[in-house]
Amino acid sequence: MNAKLRVVLVDDHALFRSGTKAELGASLDIVGEAGGVEEAVEVIRRVQPDVVLLDVHLPGGHGGGGAEVAAAFGGSGPKFLALSVSDAAGDVVAVIRAGARGYVTKTITASELTEAIGRVAGGDAVFSPGLAGFVLDAFGAVSGDVAVADDELDSLTAREQEVMRLIARGYTYREVAGELFISIKTVETHVSAVLRKLQLSNRSELTRWAARRNLL
Amino acid sequence: MAGVAAGLAEHLGVGTTVTRWAFVISGLLGPGLVLYVWLWLTVPSADPAAPPPALARLAPVLRDKERRSPLLLAAAGVVLLALAGLVGATAAGANVPWQWLVPVLALLGGLILAWSQLEYVDAESRRGPVSWMRLIGALALVVLGSALLISQGRGPSSLFMALVAGLAVLAGVALVLAPWWLRLINALGDERAATAREAERADIAAHLHDSVLQTLALIRNQASDEASVRRLARAQERELREWLYQDRAPSGLSLATALKDIAAEVEDLTDAEIGVVVAGDHPPTGPAAALIGATREGLLNAVRHGAPPVSLYAEIGADRAEVFIKDRGPGFDLNQVPADRLGVRESILGRVRRQGGSAEVVSAPGQGTEIRLKLTLTGKEGL
Repeated sequence: MNAKLRVVLVDDHALFRSGTKAELGASLDIVGEAGGVEEAVEVIRRVQPDVVLLDVHLPGGHGGGGAEVAAAFGGSGPKFLALSVSDAAGDVVAVIRAGARGYVTKTITASELTEAIGRVAGGDAVFSPGLAGFVLDAFGAVSGDVAVADDELDSLTAREQEVMRLIARGYTYREVAGELFISIKTVETHVSAVLRKLQLSNRSELTRWAARRNLL
Repeated sequence: MAGVAAGLAEHLGVGTTVTRWAFVISGLLGPGLVLYVWLWLTVPSADPAAPPPALARLAPVLRDKERRSPLLLAAAGVVLLALAGLVGATAAGANVPWQWLVPVLALLGGLILAWSQLEYVDAESRRGPVSWMRLIGALALVVLGSALLISQGRGPSSLFMALVAGLAVLAGVALVLAPWWLRLINALGDERAATAREAERADIAAHLHDSVLQTLALIRNQASDEASVRRLARAQERELREWLYQDRAPSGLSLATALKDIAAEVEDLTDAEIGVVVAGDHPPTGPAAALIGATREGLLNAVRHGAPPVSLYAEIGADRAEVFIKDRGPGFDLNQVPADRLGVRESILGRVRRQGGSAEVVSAPGQGTEIRLKLTLTGKEGL
């Protein structure tokens, strides 16, 4: 990693943008900023960053906020890391399903944020404890629902549940790996698999939830 | 029997015994039974004096209209009692002009029935099928009554003609008035929507004033005290967030909410920050209280002896609950904690174990501490 990652900040609060820029500037190359949906899409198209740090609540566009920006690139283009003050996972899942690779709250420390950005840039997923809890809830892991062959997308494997549970408990990837006697890379693979399920699954909880927010 | 006598007594303000006897006596004469059944069908079963719950807040203006119903019912009662009297009189041999009375009574009955439905007009969209049936029945009664009145017993053919003529006139009038009526309805709908928006706005303004503005004022007053500013800001954030994302179950009914409240309480007490994640939910039955208490002690312990970030994860299934409290403190060796230190041993682990649950503290120097509590919620053991 000799070249710094090129990052675009998208947040409607200029104060937050300048604060984050000051914190991350040393380790990352902030190549662009935007405060609204249209502006974000335009800036991202123009500067082609590696990672976009994307606020969930954004003005402009069709009212879809961060999810709308992520959806505009439809999986191609940069990696998106969602950022939000609200840890109401409901808000975040919209951005995840629109293509974001992970989600962190704004209370995150600068070094954790840098690490998360690096992880997303490397193609892995970043899960906050709140998001892991939501996933466990939505995929019925709490009631002991484990994947069977035919609905692979609609439930978690036993191992994925274990990983999610540990993340929800506040473990870092490294601690998860230590606890389960697997490598960090394996943890990342499990988390990415869960992310894919979260993006693609049609589990009733997710669809019902999406319908309520006019995302379908 | 069906509460009709009691209801009528309530309306007329006389004793239940009186109305019961009145029914029995008139029932023996004939029409009382009909009257009873009619009242049974038409009178709403609820206490008419109590306004419907949705309207309770807006009560003063609307309640006057509610009062009309007992009056109408009283009128209906008087008319029907008079009818009963007349039937009795005929039975006794008196000459009653039935060809006039029947249509007039039908008309009156229809009108009373229709007007008795007026109160439902105010309660939006609460017009059930029964109410519609009553309205249609009332219309039929009125039409029939008028037709009878006009035709005056001149045979069924002229009765039919009168009916047709009446309906034709009605249809004509309805056609002429329909546009006005529609416009009126639309205007009313718009006005209602505007009122609702206004009420919502006022509601939000009131809430912001009571919460956010108050807190901001407090923060300004205590700007020099960093700790209390932080606490105020966090408490306000939590409160506002809960208000915005109203997916919160009342704490008496939800273990998840109870645990969140406990974490908030510990945050307020200790000025620490706790990441709370709860999956699933369950009513806080039986041993849940012990779990909540142990969680509180565990969080306090983590905040005091550990180091941030402190996180609480609770997984609440259909019959069991697991709670994990993790901090990143220096960690300690549980075996080296003196036996007389009650904190961890009694108030956290003991409390859960006594309810038949399992509890352990996992810690090693340098790796933080995790308290793991597991409890079966349905079990009654230990209670």
